[in-house]
Amino acid sequence: MSLDRRKFLGITALSSATLLTGSTHAHEIESKTDEVYGVLVDTVVCIGCRKCEWACNQEHGLSDKDLKSYEDKSVFKEHRRPNASAYTVVNEYRDPADSSKAYSMKVQCMHCNEPACVSACIVGALEKNELGSVDYDAWKCIGCRYCIIACPFQVPAYEYENPLTPQIRKCTFCHERVAKGESPACVSICPNEALTFGPRSKLIDLAHSRFKANPGRYHEHVYGENEVGGTSWMYLTAVDTKHTELPVLSAAPLPPLTEIIQHGIFKSFVPPLALYALLGLIMHTIGDKNEEQEVKE
Amino acid sequence: MTYKKLSLLFIAVVMIAISGSVFGVAQNTHNSELDKINCLECHTCPTPNAQDMCLKACPSVLQPEMKAAHTLVEAPDTFLIDELTDLYQPVTFNHKLHADMAQMGGDCGTCHHFSPPGHIPPCSDCHGGEKNPSNLRQPSLKGAYHRQCLSCHREWSHETQCILCHLPTEGKPLSVGFDSTDILGISHPVVTVPDKLVYRTPYESGPVVTLHHNEHIDLFGLRCVDCHKQENCSYCHDMDKETKITKTDEEIHAVCNDCHLEERCDKCHDTVEKPAFSHASTGWALNRYHKGAECRACHPTGKKISKLNRRCSACHSGWNSDNFDHAVTGLRLDEIHIELDCEDCHTDLAYNKAPDCASCHDEGTNPKETPPGEYLRR
Repeated sequence: MSLDRRKFLGITALSSATLLTGSTHAHEIESKTDEVYGVLVDTVVCIGCRKCEWACNQEHGLSDKDLKSYEDKSVFKEHRRPNASAYTVVNEYRDPADSSKAYSMKVQCMHCNEPACVSACIVGALEKNELGSVDYDAWKCIGCRYCIIACPFQVPAYEYENPLTPQIRKCTFCHERVAKGESPACVSICPNEALTFGPRSKLIDLAHSRFKANPGRYHEHVYGENEVGGTSWMYLTAVDTKHTELPVLSAAPLPPLTEIIQHGIFKSFVPPLALYALLGLIMHTIGDKNEEQEVKE
Repeated sequence: MTYKKLSLLFIAVVMIAISGSVFGVAQNTHNSELDKINCLECHTCPTPNAQDMCLKACPSVLQPEMKAAHTLVEAPDTFLIDELTDLYQPVTFNHKLHADMAQMGGDCGTCHHFSPPGHIPPCSDCHGGEKNPSNLRQPSLKGAYHRQCLSCHREWSHETQCILCHLPTEGKPLSVGFDSTDILGISHPVVTVPDKLVYRTPYESGPVVTLHHNEHIDLFGLRCVDCHKQENCSYCHDMDKETKITKTDEEIHAVCNDCHLEERCDKCHDTVEKPAFSHASTGWALNRYHKGAECRACHPTGKKISKLNRRCSACHSGWNSDNFDHAVTGLRLDEIHIELDCEDCHTDLAYNKAPDCASCHDEGTNPKETPPGEYLRR
């Protein structure tokens, strides 16, 4: 009996340890986030020239419209969102206290530190690159579009008009350029340097130094520093971000919640086995007792 | 003893290492980190040495922001910014105009945030063509230029279009719908142009000078800069009115005298406000066809308007019986008369008068009584 008791404790300890591995997974990524690259979008400096849109479309062969057509500011009249043929768009937001003050805001994939889309992808077609980008592999994708539902920023778009080889389309963070040590196409074209590319931790320092150097000019909150566990792309705004199109999100990363349940239960198939072992053990001990009783009788 | 010596040696080695990394000049002590740095980022000469470090004058820990006073004569009036020419043509920068503006505020230091005495370094001395990854706070040259311009342009004119400064490289220059050499062409909020200005002058026998401003522009086809020659931004945007320079009598009259050469005082000065110009005062009231025409259409010389030959053919030399629609005069000619040459009826080429029918109709016909066609209005 004493041997059985020791075995039982051992098995429960093992099974609880495997259940916890789900949460340690998240911590592994977190420890890397200071080394990843990011982009700081300073909407106070942005002049809304839309050159980033042009550069992005050129880089990814999305549109062959000439540079001149991007001078058209009338597009700001309507609120646009990134779609399958535009990975980034520039919108306008206004100061609620003074509606004459307009600021421009570039929108694209935020490349979260702990991306919900990666977590939601059931085939691993989306992956967080160690350089910071959330990469998409069209060959693995089965087109379930769970990523679209999972993304808190509503970024991934789907090629609905392409019936044969539809893909998920979103900002790639120009990961090939970044791997070569270059900055993304939008960043390198930005005339006013409203976009700054660099190691994420340095960008956070930069953001706080701008608050310090320009008192009153910014709403002193680096959007993306902590939102959903931090994002590679971060924003500085003139007004509270709730007046912009950036969604109000808590600092808690989204994946762990579902992952602890989903991944934990099925991690390496140990928990199910452990459960069956436990049940077996219970049956075994009960069976033993019955046998003993039978023997006694 | 040996312990002390060793520690002294150690301190010396550390000092050398620190000085080497601070100045980055001692070639022998270059470590692998320094090898990655382009010498020309900090030095003006390719081979700096301990004697001649040729360090660029850039803001640093040793030399923080510095703004010395400079006189405007040191700088050219305009220059071409072409270091980064890529998507657009180089920018012609009117330095004088901007310097004038800066004098209302922070002087040269408004833009030249680091200007040590004796020399204003060009932006490219400190701001590199590529963003410096080790100092993300410092904008690259492109960022430095654009931020310098746009921070004010956005605030003052709310215009951030690229084509306000740049012309596109391909094809013809973009038509941006204005003449950038004139005041109204400069990116600027709407300028209210006064219709009439009345000046009270100390001239006793004619204290009132009336300027029908818009009429002057229309009459003579003037551009703002034709009269407003030496005016800079501070003329309107002077924040300190106390120090506004008062003009001498000569300077005040110079604006008018450029055109009104040797004119009598009463041309402008009067005891009452002068009425606006009426063409009827010349003895030739404009008819309905001429009323809408711009003065320049008939008086093309611009500044000096002289009397014109009143004969229609003096201007409308191309008119003949084939291409002139006589109905516009109010008389549609009948089949017989429309075949005639103009001069057949208007014998003396005086088209403003009714013709003398007697040249053909010897019985003395009056065109009013027996018309040569149909009168469209009476």
